[in-house]
Amino acid sequence: MSSAVVVDADEPRLRPGSSLLEPEFLRRLERLKLLARRRFRGAASGSRRARAKGSSAEFADHRPYAPGDDTRRIDWNAYARLGELVMRLYVAEQDLAVTLLIDRSASLGVGSPPKIDVARRVAAALGYLALAQGERVGVVPFAAGVGRPLEPGRGRARVGKLLRYLDSVEVDGTTDLGRAVDAFLARRPRPGLVCVLSDLLDPGGFRRPLDRLISEGHEPAIFHILDAEELDPTPGGDFALVDVERGTRVEVSLDQHAIAAYRARVTAFLADVGGYARSRGLSHVRVGGDVDFEDALLTYLRS
Amino acid sequence: MRLLSPLSLAWLGLLVPLVLLYVLRRRREERSVGSTLLWEAALRDLRAERPWRRLIPHLSLLLQILVLLAAAFALARPAGLGAAPSGAYLAVVIDRSASMATRDAQGQTRLERAQGVARSLLGGLPPGGRGMLVGAGRNALVLGALSSDQVALVRGVDVLDVEGGAADLNAAVALAAERLAGAPRGSRVLLLTDGAESAPVTVEGLTVPVEVRRVGAPADNTGLLALDVRADPSPGHPDRASLFVRLGRTAETPRQVYVLASVGDALVASRRVDMPARGETSLMLAADLPPDADGRAPFVSVRLADAHGASGAEPFDAQPLDDLRVAPSPGLRRLPVFLVGPRIASIERVLRSDPDVELFETTLARLAERDDDAPVLDGLVIYSGEVPDAPPPGDSIVVAPSGPTAFELAVGSPTEAPRVVSWAEDDPRMRFVSMADVHIVSARPLRAPGAHSLVETNAGPVVAAYERAAGETTVVGFDPGDSDWPTQPSFVVFFRDLLERARTHRARGGVPAAGLGEALSVPAPDGEQVRVTTPAGAELHARSRGGLALVPIGAEPGVYRVDASGRQLAALRNLDAPEEVDLGNRITLVGGGTASTQRIAQAEDHRESWPWLALLGLVFVLLEAGWATRRGAA
Repeated sequence: MSSAVVVDADEPRLRPGSSLLEPEFLRRLERLKLLARRRFRGAASGSRRARAKGSSAEFADHRPYAPGDDTRRIDWNAYARLGELVMRLYVAEQDLAVTLLIDRSASLGVGSPPKIDVARRVAAALGYLALAQGERVGVVPFAAGVGRPLEPGRGRARVGKLLRYLDSVEVDGTTDLGRAVDAFLARRPRPGLVCVLSDLLDPGGFRRPLDRLISEGHEPAIFHILDAEELDPTPGGDFALVDVERGTRVEVSLDQHAIAAYRARVTAFLADVGGYARSRGLSHVRVGGDVDFEDALLTYLRS
Repeated sequence: MRLLSPLSLAWLGLLVPLVLLYVLRRRREERSVGSTLLWEAALRDLRAERPWRRLIPHLSLLLQILVLLAAAFALARPAGLGAAPSGAYLAVVIDRSASMATRDAQGQTRLERAQGVARSLLGGLPPGGRGMLVGAGRNALVLGALSSDQVALVRGVDVLDVEGGAADLNAAVALAAERLAGAPRGSRVLLLTDGAESAPVTVEGLTVPVEVRRVGAPADNTGLLALDVRADPSPGHPDRASLFVRLGRTAETPRQVYVLASVGDALVASRRVDMPARGETSLMLAADLPPDADGRAPFVSVRLADAHGASGAEPFDAQPLDDLRVAPSPGLRRLPVFLVGPRIASIERVLRSDPDVELFETTLARLAERDDDAPVLDGLVIYSGEVPDAPPPGDSIVVAPSGPTAFELAVGSPTEAPRVVSWAEDDPRMRFVSMADVHIVSARPLRAPGAHSLVETNAGPVVAAYERAAGETTVVGFDPGDSDWPTQPSFVVFFRDLLERARTHRARGGVPAAGLGEALSVPAPDGEQVRVTTPAGAELHARSRGGLALVPIGAEPGVYRVDASGRQLAALRNLDAPEEVDLGNRITLVGGGTASTQRIAQAEDHRESWPWLALLGLVFVLLEAGWATRRGAA
C-alpha cells in the first residue's frame, strides 16, 4: 500500500499555502482509500453496473433468440432442457461518472475556517478516492450558474490536476442551485454520482434542482456544509447582519430569544434537508462545525 | 386662551432630542454572514410569537403620536379662559338678567356665551382648585356650592336660564366673595355679564379680587316699556277700549316699527311708529274688546314688528323679551258677587252702587244642592249668618256669623257695646277707612292665630281677615245694622276696597303677579295636578303641595293658561324692568378705582370650534394609521 499521492510534475503547482497538499491531509486521504474500496469497488475497467444489459460475466436474464443475435451467447443448456433457443443476457459494466458539484457562491467564503475550504477538502477527498477506484471524476463549480468545469477524466494521474483545479476555485456571486443544475444538465452529462457540496442557503430552495438531477438518472449525494457560527451563533451583542450574497441587512440583538428562534430555524432547516434525502434515498452528510470533513466522508462511505 | 406660565413652553424644546432619539439609528456592529435567510425567518417567528411587534421609528408614527397628543390635549381644554393657578378657588357669577337673552348674529344668546365661558372655567379647574357657581337674578342664588366636582358644576351651568328682570349683581358678587373668604391665594370672583346694568357693582371691601368679563356685543333695541288698557265705551261701541302703549329705543339711529294689538290670533289695532334715536314714544290705540263666546273678558297682546315681520313669526330684534306685552281688558272688571243668607240691606246698597258688580242672591241650602260638577262660584261670595264648613275658592266676606266659627276663625260670645280702640290703617283693606266714630251695639269678637285684625275693640277684634292661597276671607263679627257704621262713608269705602281686591284677584285668576320667568304659584287642593299652557303652546304640569302648585316657567312674556280644580285661570307675564331694554354696555365698578375698571374685559369668543378641529384631527389620525398599517408602512 502506497502512502504517497501521485502528482504530475508537469501540471501547474498548487498555490502557496494550499491545505490540499499538507502531509496530514494526504495521509488522511490514504486512510480513506482503504475504506473507499468498499464503496467504489471494481478494477480499472470500472466497477459500476450499468442499467443496460451488456457483456460482463454477471448473468442477468434470458430472452428469446432473434436472427442476427450473437450465437456465442445462446444458452445451449436451456436449449437442451426447453428445446427453444434463448439468449443469455449479462449485466453491462462501465466506470462510474462522479461529478463534484461544488458551490462557490460568496456565502461559502464565510466561516472559520471558510466553508469553501471545507468544500475543497471534501471535494478533493471524494475526487481522490474516486480516481483511485478508477472512476471518471469531473468538477463543476457553480454559483448563480456553472463556471468553467474540470472535464471528467480517470486515472490516478489526474489527482494533481484535480487538486490544483480545486485550489483555483474562488468564491463569488449568489447561490442559484436551480440554474446551476439546469446548466449542468444542459451539457447532457452521463448519469452518475453527483456530489453536491453546498450550504444549500438558496432562496430558491434545493428540492427542485435535486429532483431534476434524480429525474435525469443521476444519484445526488448531499454534502451540507455549514459553519459552526451558522449552526450555533454566539449569544450577546447587537449586530447588523449583512448577507454577503444579497446584501440584505438584518438588525438583530443576539439575546436568548433571538438565539432560540434562530436555532429552531436551523434545526428545522437541517431536518428538512435530511428528511428530503431520506425520502429520495439519497446520501446526506453534514460537514463543518462540529463535523470534520474526515468524519463526514467516513459517514458517507459507511452509509 | 391665556397661559398662566408661558415660560413653561420652554419644555417644548425637549421635543428636539425626543425626535432625534426616534430618528437617529442605533449604531450596530456589522457582521457578514453567508445568508440572512434563516435570521429573517427567525425574526419573523419572534414577531409572530409576540402580542406586539417591534416599534419601528417611522417619522409618520412620530407625527401621528404628536397629532394625537395635541388633539387629546385640545379636547381636554386644559388652560381655558381665565384659568386659575393650582389650588385656587374660582366663583363664577353669571348675570341672569333679561338683557342676557339678547341673541347675536350667530344666533347665540349672551347667556349661552356666558355659559360657554363658565363651562370651560369650571370644567377645567386647576389641580386642587375648587369652583362655585352663583346665579345673579332678582336674588343671588348659589347654583353650585364650592366644590371640586367639575361635572356637578358644569351641570349647574347647563341648567341656568334667564330671569326676566333686572339682576342684583351686587348681591351676587358679595355672596360669592363671602363664600370665598379665606380661600387660597389666587382665588377670585369672576362676573360674567353683558354689562347692560345701570347699577354699579361695588367691589370695595371684598376679601377676594373681582374680575368682570363681558359677553356679547352692544346691540340696538326697541322695546315696549308699558301697556295699559282702559275702557272707553261709547254709544256705538260698548266694548271700546283705549290701549296706551309706551315704547323706547336705545339705538343711535331712528327706526320705523309697527305696533300690533291682538286678541288671540285676531288683530284688533295697529299703528306704524317712527321711533327716534335713543328716545321714547307713547301712543294710544283704540280697539273693541268684546267678551269671548264664553263671556270671558279677553287679554290684549301688543307686540312690535317691522314691515317684513308683521306675522310675528320672526323675532323683531335681538332682545325678544321686550317685544311683547299683555294686559287684561277692561271687561275683567266685571265682578260677580254672590249673596248667601239673609239680605243685609246696607251691604246690598253698596254693591248695587258699583256698576261693574253683577249681584246674585242665593242660600246655603241651594248651594249645597249643587252637583260636584257645577262650576265654581267665580267671584266674590258674601255670607251672612251661617257659613259652610270650607271657604269657597277666591275671595269671600262673612258678615255676622251665627255659628261658633267662621271658617278658620273662632267667633266668641256676643259682647254688648264694644268700643273701637284701633284699626289697621296700613292694611289695604282699610284704605281711607276711619272707624273713629263708629259705635257698635253688639258684636262677637274673633280669634284666629293667623288672621289680621282689622278693627280692634276693647272686647277683641271684631273685623279680621285671613289669606289663603286660593283667596282671602274678611269676617265682620257684627251685623252692620247693629251699628252706625253704614251711615258713615267709611262703610262704603271699606266694602269698595274689598270689591277692588276681589276684582284684582279675579283678574289675575288667583295666580299672584310675579316677574317674568318666575314660577307660577297656582292655588289648588293638595295633590291635584295643575296644567299650564305657555304662550308658545307648551304644556307644563305640577302637583299641588300645601295648597299651592309651583310651576316653573321660562322668561317668555305672554298669557299663561292655567287649568286647576276645574277652573280656567290665567297669569300674565311681562318684562317689568325698563332698564333691561337698554342693551348697551354701561356697567361700572365702584371702589376698585382704575385698576378695577381695567378688570372689565371683553370675554373671548367661546364658540369652541377648536374642539371640532381636534376631533377632526383625531379622525384623520385614525384613518391615516389604518391606511398605513393596511399598507404595511407602519
